[in-house]
Amino acid sequence: MKYAADLLEQVGLERERVRMVNISSAMGAQFAELVTEMSEQLKGLGPSPLRVDD
Amino acid sequence: MIVGEQKTLDEIMGLLGDAHKVLVAGCGTCVTVSFAGGEKEVGILASQLRMRSKLEGHPMEVDEVTVQRQCEWEYIDPLAPRLGEYDVILSLACGIGVQAMNERFPDSITLPGVNTVFLGMPVEQGIWEERCQACGDCILGLTAGICPIARCSKQLLNGPCGGSQNGVCEVNPDIPCAWQLIWERAVKLGREEWLLEIQPPKDWSKSRDGGPRKIVRDDLRLADME
Ligand code: SF4
Repeated sequence: MKYAADLLEQVGLERERVRMVNISSAMGAQFAELVTEMSEQLKGLGPSPLRVDD
Repeated sequence: MIVGEQKTLDEIMGLLGDAHKVLVAGCGTCVTVSFAGGEKEVGILASQLRMRSKLEGHPMEVDEVTVQRQCEWEYIDPLAPRLGEYDVILSLACGIGVQAMNERFPDSITLPGVNTVFLGMPVEQGIWEERCQACGDCILGLTAGICPIARCSKQLLNGPCGGSQNGVCEVNPDIPCAWQLIWERAVKLGREEWLLEIQPPKDWSKSRDGGPRKIVRDDLRLADME
């Protein structure tokens, strides 16, 4: 994961745009919580500068 | 195998300069197993180049190809018809592959994306160590199968030197003293006599000191021999 985040950073994007968690299919509530948290984080970072002018 | 390490993205961007259309060319042999320039690394680097160049405001068009071996004509020849469309080819092969590309395709510019570091092997997942210096005159039969040319910091033929401390080389605590390893192995095999003979100075003319080397095997050549 650190490798993937490093790749993003070298390119010039925030390393927080990628994240990996280990979670079982029986942990629905925790999954929803993590996804909400991640999407909040991404909203904070704003749209990817690579997409804006697509 | 040849062990390589990818150059940093910053250095690669600098080498590519204002190229618009780039072909990232990987090699399916040594650099694939040293995770520096195989198909996977080609894909990752090509994506990084597309993203970074776009962020910097001069988007590059980046194509990808990986051949079985960049150091043999028969594997790179099929690339010929498409090379004209690229400003630059970025090779992720070792220095041999990069030169093969430049030699075979003199009208294209092939740049190196990998540093060729040494001849060695993965001692465990993610760790590669140097094992051979291609000195052209193998002495492993005299040194308990451990090469002091590649693994002793001073390339001693009659070691160890006075800097060997508790099995570690004085040059760097991360380097096991090759001569300690040689001695221990000889003792273990009951072959200390291997090390009793003083080795004369090595004939370095068979190594790089004699200039670039070449092997010719007439029995294998296809051209008519007189
Ligand atoms: S300490 Fe060992 S490996 Fe280092 S230079 Fe001396 S003999 Fe060679």
